Amino acid sequence: MVSDKEAVRFVYQTKEVCPPEIHFQIREERLEDIRFVGGGCPGNAQLASRLLKGKLLNEAIEVLQNIPCRNNTSCPDQLAQALLAAGKGELGPAQSFRVHTDGTPMNRIALIGDMDGQVDHLKNLVREIHEKGADAICCVGNLTGNSAGNKELIRLVQKEKMLAVQGELDWRYAEGKEHEDFPALGQKERDALIRLPQILSFRLGMKRGMAFFGQYLQEFPGISDFDPFVLEMNMVCRLSDFLQNEAVFPALKAMTPQFDARIVIFGEMRKWGHWRIGDADFISLGPAHTDKEGIAWGLLEDSAKGIHFEVLKTEE
Amino acid sequence: MAESVRVLPDEIQKMIDVKEWDMRTREGIQRFTSLKARSLPSVALDGDLVYEALIPRQEELCDEIRHRYHAD
Repeated sequence: MVSDKEAVRFVYQTKEVCPPEIHFQIREERLEDIRFVGGGCPGNAQLASRLLKGKLLNEAIEVLQNIPCRNNTSCPDQLAQALLAAGKGELGPAQSFRVHTDGTPMNRIALIGDMDGQVDHLKNLVREIHEKGADAICCVGNLTGNSAGNKELIRLVQKEKMLAVQGELDWRYAEGKEHEDFPALGQKERDALIRLPQILSFRLGMKRGMAFFGQYLQEFPGISDFDPFVLEMNMVCRLSDFLQNEAVFPALKAMTPQFDARIVIFGEMRKWGHWRIGDADFISLGPAHTDKEGIAWGLLEDSAKGIHFEVLKTEE
Repeated sequence: MAESVRVLPDEIQKMIDVKEWDMRTREGIQRFTSLKARSLPSVALDGDLVYEALIPRQEELCDEIRHRYHAD
């Protein structure tokens, strides 16, 4: 049973009613912050939310249950089902992404993809980026990898105050689920990895951007399609297969006006790429190191002509 | 698009069940990709993609439904 003093957030996938989801919180057996999301009658939904705020679960269920509207159920009835499921433990708490919002307007951002624990490469990159000049260094690939340099690399990221987004391998390390062949990592470094944001929101000139690693975030339990930036992630990961399926670009273009961000950066593909679709720029970051081409990084700039992105190489 | 289907004449409404998918959701994207659709809006009849990137005129849609379901 839910009894924490902290409010616990739930997301319920409805059946047979207009809004596809109901979001709510429970604090000490009482309801808070109810939202019917994605459809339905907004006025009625707001009224229900206000009337139910602070009500005990059992009292709320009593007044909500068995109200028909369509398909022998209704928004209130679905909320009752959600509360019953939460009460029985059948509906688990929603896991939200850690989002870091950097409100500083920037004009030049250095982008780094997978580092794979190669700390010497990161040192070279940092030196090169400082020479070229950038408002921030942003790492969107895996910091860690099958490398003895993981610990030193995490410390360098902290020391340089880089904006780092958690990659899938970083998340596995943080959760103690890394591949058994990977070198051990101390608790301090695992804690640093677990605190990394999973989504970075930033400003480049007048545009808002977002950066995330990739698909692993979509497997988190209780994720809502209506949480901030989930639309962008759904479009990248699920609709367009990380921009590899050009056939669906017309649909992607039709969806970009609904985005929160106009610049969408991702790291999972391990392949450099830049696409301008509709009024959004999509950027895929490749790995920092490849055998043939030295160490790669990206420079994202706001210019008079719009967003400019180029991949730069530096000597090993 | 859904609105143009909702306002179809009663004789057509009796022949069909309408399901709308929301492209903001993972379920909607799954349906869109399973239909091999490319553009929005798209209309499928019995799993066949019939209209892409356009809203058909009402008469055209009615004719297509009648044609498929052999109504007089």
